[in-house]
Amino acid sequence: MYALSVKDLSKSYPNFLLQDISFDLPEGKIMGLIGKNGAGKSTILKSILNLVNPDSGIISMFGSNFRDNEEACKQDIGVVLGGIDFYYHKKLADITAVTKRFYKNWDDEACQKYMKAFALLADKRVKELSTGMKVKYMLALALSHKAKLLILDEPTSGLDPVSRDDILTLFRQLTDSKGISILFSTHITSDLEKCADYITYIKDGKMLKSAEAKEFTKSFEHLKEPDDKSELSLEDIMVRTERRKYDV
Amino acid sequence: MFDLLYKEVRLAAHPNLFVFTFLGILVIVPSYPYGMVFLFGCLGPYISFMYGRETNDIYYTSLLPVKKTDTVKAKFLLIILAQMTQLLISLPFAILRLYILPAGNPAGIEANIAYYGFGFIIYAIFDVLFLTEFFKTGYKAGKAFILGIIPASLGVISMEVLVHIPKFSWLDSVLTDTIPKQLPILMLGIIIYMLSIIIAYKISAERFQKVDL
Repeated sequence: MYALSVKDLSKSYPNFLLQDISFDLPEGKIMGLIGKNGAGKSTILKSILNLVNPDSGIISMFGSNFRDNEEACKQDIGVVLGGIDFYYHKKLADITAVTKRFYKNWDDEACQKYMKAFALLADKRVKELSTGMKVKYMLALALSHKAKLLILDEPTSGLDPVSRDDILTLFRQLTDSKGISILFSTHITSDLEKCADYITYIKDGKMLKSAEAKEFTKSFEHLKEPDDKSELSLEDIMVRTERRKYDV
Repeated sequence: MFDLLYKEVRLAAHPNLFVFTFLGILVIVPSYPYGMVFLFGCLGPYISFMYGRETNDIYYTSLLPVKKTDTVKAKFLLIILAQMTQLLISLPFAILRLYILPAGNPAGIEANIAYYGFGFIIYAIFDVLFLTEFFKTGYKAGKAFILGIIPASLGVISMEVLVHIPKFSWLDSVLTDTIPKQLPILMLGIIIYMLSIIIAYKISAERFQKVDL
């Protein structure tokens, strides 16, 4: 069974078209959704979560249709939307106290354990947290209700290399020790090299490729140039695919 | 449902909402247009909706294990709670003023049964227009407020002017013999308020479903 399955997802805006996106994320694996800024990564994640109404497409989580079982599916997921801070002036304790009421599997002990492990203080306010700490707080909330699937929109953007490495190592730890599945979008290719099992590449609203990481790299061998001796890095693949010439 | 309301009160509501709700107490002020109380009951939710927008409250709610329409339900529950609490807070003071201010209110309507009936109608006018317009986008609170508060203010002005017309002086009375005449206004107000909330919720939920956050 797949943790997440996306089939033929399409969404049209007046100036942008997201077309026929399909991919599957196996349980306990990490998938990176990559693409340059404005490629449609956030629209895909928001469409998966029903924040955006797709024109067509079927979203399944652990075998059940998300649209038909939205409340039940959301019990099993944790979401981090990049750049969106909730309740800037509220204390973490207040947000936790409200959030826990909505989850059947909420575990207070686990929450305290993760808050401690991530060095988060309950009486801190959201505005006092660094970008990395905010991501960690959202992860702590997700883990406290025993989320099986994490969906994260650019969780590493705006982080320094140390914090980025910290988050990505944590991702790997969560999949290895808890069997959690993770889908995260990024435009930083080194994030994927560090931890992605699967890569889905979005370009101008279309899916170029979705595959297991090694197979993904191999499928772009046609981009190799005569000077290239080793395998192409993900950065090479992305830069060469996106490169354009201006008529100036 | 209680969890949604708890979330609204603890996280989404701006402190101003509690202050404006408490202003139900204004019916004890001598010579004051008590219709203002209802306008505070509209202003409080508006400020809270703006605050909710700044704190990404709608995103937070949408990610909880609830339906997208529950985001709308949460806001409806908050506005109903605030307005009903405001009326409840005003009630003991409306009774108290009969004893400590027996001369009545020369500035406008008395805090009597008809006044509460008009209050329900004024809330209803504002809520229908404000909420249905707001949930077209989930963020344009200013436009929704203007659309709602102008007709609601006209309602307040009409109420305050009406009691100065001799023919309608019974509306300004706190004497027991006018109760049978005023009671239908209260009943009508309650019915209009309930119907408006139901209709506004249906329209708002439908509109918000279509919103791309």
